[in-house]
Amino acid sequence: MALNLKGSFVLDELKNVQITIGKILEEGEEWDEPVGPTPMPGIADLRKWDHTLLERYEPFYAPMQDFCTLCTMGPCDLSSNKRGACGIDLKTAKARLVTIACSIGAAAHTAHARHMLDYVIEQFGEDTPIDLGPDVNVEAPNIRTIIGVRPRTLGDLKVALEWAEREIVKVLHSTHIGNEESLIDYESKAMHVSMCDHIGMEVADIAQIVAFNYPKAEPDTPLVDAGFGVVDRTKPVIVVVGHNVMYARPVMDYLEEQGRLDEFEITGLCCTVHDMTRYNARAKVFGPISYQLRVIRAGLPDIVISDEQCIRADLLEACSLMGIPLIATSDAAMRGLPDATDWPVEKIVSALINGEVPGVFLSDPEKIGQVAPIVAEEVFRKKDRTKLFFKSDDEFREEIAKCTQCMNCVFTCPHSLRIDQGMAHAQKTGDISKLAELEDRCIACMKCEQACPKKIKIINVIMQSNLQNLYAKTGMMRVGRGPIQDTEIRKVGQPIVFGQIPGVIAPVGCVNYPDLKDDLREIIEEFLRRKYIVVTSGCHAMDIGMLKDEEGKTLYEKYPGNFDAGGLVNVGACVADSHIAGAAIKIANIFAMRPLRGNYAEIADYALNRIGAVGFSWGPYSHKAASIATGFNRLGVPVVVGPHGTKYRRAYIGKPWKKEKWWVYDIKTGEKTYIEPAPDALLISVETKEEAIVQLAKLTIRPNDTGMGRQIKLTHYLELSKKYLGRYPDDWPIYVRSEADLPLRTKDELLKILEDEHGWKIDWEKKKILEGPIRPLDPGFNPTLVEEVFEKYSRK
Amino acid sequence: MEFPFDISPMYEGERIRKQDMYVELGGPTQPGFELVISASPDEIEDMNFTLIGPDISEMEEGKAYPYAMIYRIAGKQVEKDLEPVVERRNHDFQNYIEGYMHLNQRYDIWIRISKSAVKKGLNSFEQIAKATMMLFKNELPFIEKIDATYITDREEVEKRLQETMKIYEERDLRTLSLHDEDVEEFYSCTLCQSFAPTNVCVIAPDRVSLCGAITWFDGRASAKVDPEGPNAPIPKGELVDEIGGEYTGVNEFAKERSGGEYDRIKLHSFFEFPHTSCGCFEVIGFYMPEVDGIGWVHRGYDEPAPNGLTFSTMAGQTGGGKQVVGFLGIGIGYFKSPKFIQADGGWKRTVWMPKSLKERVLEFIPDEMKDKIATEEDAGTIDELKEFLKKVNHPVVTGVVRDIDGAKITDGWVEEKEEEAPIEAPAETGKVQETPAMQQIQPGQIPVFTPQPVMNPVSGGGIKLVIKNAKINIEKIVVSKKDS
Repeated sequence: MALNLKGSFVLDELKNVQITIGKILEEGEEWDEPVGPTPMPGIADLRKWDHTLLERYEPFYAPMQDFCTLCTMGPCDLSSNKRGACGIDLKTAKARLVTIACSIGAAAHTAHARHMLDYVIEQFGEDTPIDLGPDVNVEAPNIRTIIGVRPRTLGDLKVALEWAEREIVKVLHSTHIGNEESLIDYESKAMHVSMCDHIGMEVADIAQIVAFNYPKAEPDTPLVDAGFGVVDRTKPVIVVVGHNVMYARPVMDYLEEQGRLDEFEITGLCCTVHDMTRYNARAKVFGPISYQLRVIRAGLPDIVISDEQCIRADLLEACSLMGIPLIATSDAAMRGLPDATDWPVEKIVSALINGEVPGVFLSDPEKIGQVAPIVAEEVFRKKDRTKLFFKSDDEFREEIAKCTQCMNCVFTCPHSLRIDQGMAHAQKTGDISKLAELEDRCIACMKCEQACPKKIKIINVIMQSNLQNLYAKTGMMRVGRGPIQDTEIRKVGQPIVFGQIPGVIAPVGCVNYPDLKDDLREIIEEFLRRKYIVVTSGCHAMDIGMLKDEEGKTLYEKYPGNFDAGGLVNVGACVADSHIAGAAIKIANIFAMRPLRGNYAEIADYALNRIGAVGFSWGPYSHKAASIATGFNRLGVPVVVGPHGTKYRRAYIGKPWKKEKWWVYDIKTGEKTYIEPAPDALLISVETKEEAIVQLAKLTIRPNDTGMGRQIKLTHYLELSKKYLGRYPDDWPIYVRSEADLPLRTKDELLKILEDEHGWKIDWEKKKILEGPIRPLDPGFNPTLVEEVFEKYSRK
Repeated sequence: MEFPFDISPMYEGERIRKQDMYVELGGPTQPGFELVISASPDEIEDMNFTLIGPDISEMEEGKAYPYAMIYRIAGKQVEKDLEPVVERRNHDFQNYIEGYMHLNQRYDIWIRISKSAVKKGLNSFEQIAKATMMLFKNELPFIEKIDATYITDREEVEKRLQETMKIYEERDLRTLSLHDEDVEEFYSCTLCQSFAPTNVCVIAPDRVSLCGAITWFDGRASAKVDPEGPNAPIPKGELVDEIGGEYTGVNEFAKERSGGEYDRIKLHSFFEFPHTSCGCFEVIGFYMPEVDGIGWVHRGYDEPAPNGLTFSTMAGQTGGGKQVVGFLGIGIGYFKSPKFIQADGGWKRTVWMPKSLKERVLEFIPDEMKDKIATEEDAGTIDELKEFLKKVNHPVVTGVVRDIDGAKITDGWVEEKEEEAPIEAPAETGKVQETPAMQQIQPGQIPVFTPQPVMNPVSGGGIKLVIKNAKINIEKIVVSKKDS
């Protein structure tokens, strides 16, 4: 019989009772912020928000192939509106592939976070407090908003991570044959799993900042050497590669303890080295994944320590050919190597030095710290220093002579580099300059070598041709600083409102650039000079450090590292991207005091309508980049990707001509209002640097810009379009709400265009627009797309 | 008109180094000034330019010259009070010009023209003046006519500078002597509503906006450009509370523009219906019940204040366009105000500031209070602060007597008890409406300041356990009557 008792009770005795209490909180630790509608959301909980977004920003698909080959009933031809054996159509199949790609990306960061968190909790204890510096009060904006908890200690991060793991599995499940029927629901799942990605990233980065004492939101972190030519080749070189620094970090500790740090070069590739520099600014940066083969084939490393993600799948082979021992450390990439984790240090060292094994799998960070320097020193002692890309000039010339200009390499090259022309020119004239020119564009993916019927070592030829310049590649990267301070956000509030800061551009992501890498510097500097805030991370942050202007300076040396007008902020490795999303969330929390706790849709809606931030990935290729971008999209932040981004197969592009799609609720007037299409896309790809610049400027426009804010955004949009595309953009009038929005210098000219070409009515005496705009400028305009938010704030 | 230079906000902040400079104007070695004055429309030929002295093309490369820029403006809405506001824009607009650096204002102006600008065809001040005048007219359409006189002749600059100094002095006097009671309307600033939808800044002669960027004069100029814009005029209405600075017009406006979020604002009060805060205030004030005084900390100070909280933490408690009692966001300029939180004792209630902030506003602190306000060098904790305040005999120790009306508004620490002051016995009997959204605090009463939620203590002491999300599996419960 069920008993329902209410009221006060006095328990006289408790006997044989076991009470399990998960956690005991001390007074004041409890978070008094009320829980919002969606703490720890499941797939269905934010679906409404996704559908609202996707109603406006319809998915646009660009299939790389029309066939589906995911199950044994296939291959199924899905072209011409045909359905596959399981019933799926092409668009839904592509939406499913996008969901899978985002799941892979999310899983990468989340598994990274899992390795990291388990390790640091074991090492430092789960009660280690989360302290990100005196100016960071909102320590984990993503976790607060999505999970609905305020983590105080490393142990508190567990609940967030467990949630992400659970949700990723659920989304992955949905991609099994015979599940979702709606492409929009797949896109919603892609967004959901990408939001998990942002949680994974935040957990990983907070854990490592706290445990390894990285810079804590400090703007003026040190500058470290970056570039192919940064190492002192008279010292043994230890090279780390991958994305998870926990394995290789003890190398630094060990050498420091021994007082021998000066005797070695600790360098690396990709995000692991990013984080090595955050741990100790003595580490040096070789570059991103496109430098992996360059570095190995140049014979620079004396030992390579690999961990996970974005590492070439032929790393062991490449290292072995050059006699470089490899230590694989992450169970995500064991590379077929024997597990030496339980071997004594001496045994591992001797096996590697004597070449008994080409490498080992070793997952004990402390042992890695001891083994790597000893092996590096020994390999260094024995190494043949003369061996570069080729043993001799003759050998190099012979290799070039083999080329028949069959062009197989050109056809397979991701950038269609004209290797054939370089080879032919060198064969005829002996001049290798045309080959040398290819070096900066080459991402060293090695597909050309696979395609070459003559087995020419094309990468080596290209590198050797530009050897001098390659070694002259030395620059500076500012060490990743982690989060943005709450006070920095307060400080930029007024200049953003007053239009002195036009927006925030966030170049993040990979290196599959369409052309010269230097374009990246040009694009970014254009915005830095115009006082945008630029926030970067990952590969882009590294490459920025390798690119110099005419005076030999990198952008890090020219622009300060604070989150302010004209500041270039490097937050750190990929996982530090969570701080960029976090900054957007903090704006909502700090200025409008919007509650974060379990309140995702309201915050994302706030960002979409108010915060002029745009993500930018000039060379995206990884699945992580897909999930990072999609996670930003769900948060209401548009993303511009370079041309290879089309191969993600999906974009979110609004249709400005469909007026009925562009509406919001205005809390002030209590009415549904039609607005200008701002931003007019959530995910869009561009082909050229010129297009990229103009698109980025446009996408910072938001419905809630003040007159001054819109004026400055339009000024830059029009100026940049004129500068790079030679004309005003076609759509600028739709962003004009009143004459206050018009650029100052060209006001008369533009008013004339509005009158003559668009039929607007102008009072020339007062220089006032009388008729024409979609809606007038109203300083109290308070837009939202979320019904519940509208109701919540309208009630008052 | 076509200009041989680009004009864009992207050149703001452009620095021209000595080796890139063609000529320097004004600056550390030469006299210089800029001035905007109003005139009657028939005195002015629109867009006319006059130069007295050598032009750029006649100047020697690498040299410095005297420089004066005088603009006369006219229009139906132009008035004397707008002159300094318009004048300050000269800096903004001229910095839009590529290859032209403008620093400082008034008689401190320092200009450099770059070699590359001259190379591209900048050879006359007329080009600069015409561009600047165009920008003035585009941005401030109440200027119907404008002309400019630039002077590079030393004698003439020096002569006119003397006259101009008098104008600056008069203006400063006017700014200092203009008070809330002298004007008919205040101005709102709803710019921050783009981020904080319910925030309404009320800008009065004695109260600058809390971001520090807009004075009453600025608000007035902006309201002339667009009365329906972000700086709409607020008719003061009737004075409700002279000391606190409460007006019916302000209350009505606040209610309407905040969407009913709040309906009363006292401009010069800390505890009672304080002004709201968006997120970009320069300084935050915080009440410390232990000493019954108020501390102030600015954005640039990242150490904890004596209450153990950093700027960032305290700022996190306020903002969002809400009235939060116990904290107040202000602009640094408000320290200059003679009405600076006058309802709650002003400087006499101020007990602590970071040294750098105190030095910045030192000249506005009454002499007798200068040594009584602690900095981090005097006190880092509440206990140290108590010691310091006792030592210097700060008014909060014995009770604050308000300057404005001589009322004793705090009791002082006479009894020095650890417990809270009695809740009854407020010193003043002003009627206070019940507003559920905010905590009521009256002068004389020590508010219970709760930066973090405090659990209710269990009566009779001991520990109160709050068990959440716990699974208690109990096999059997025997419920028996308690013996009475």
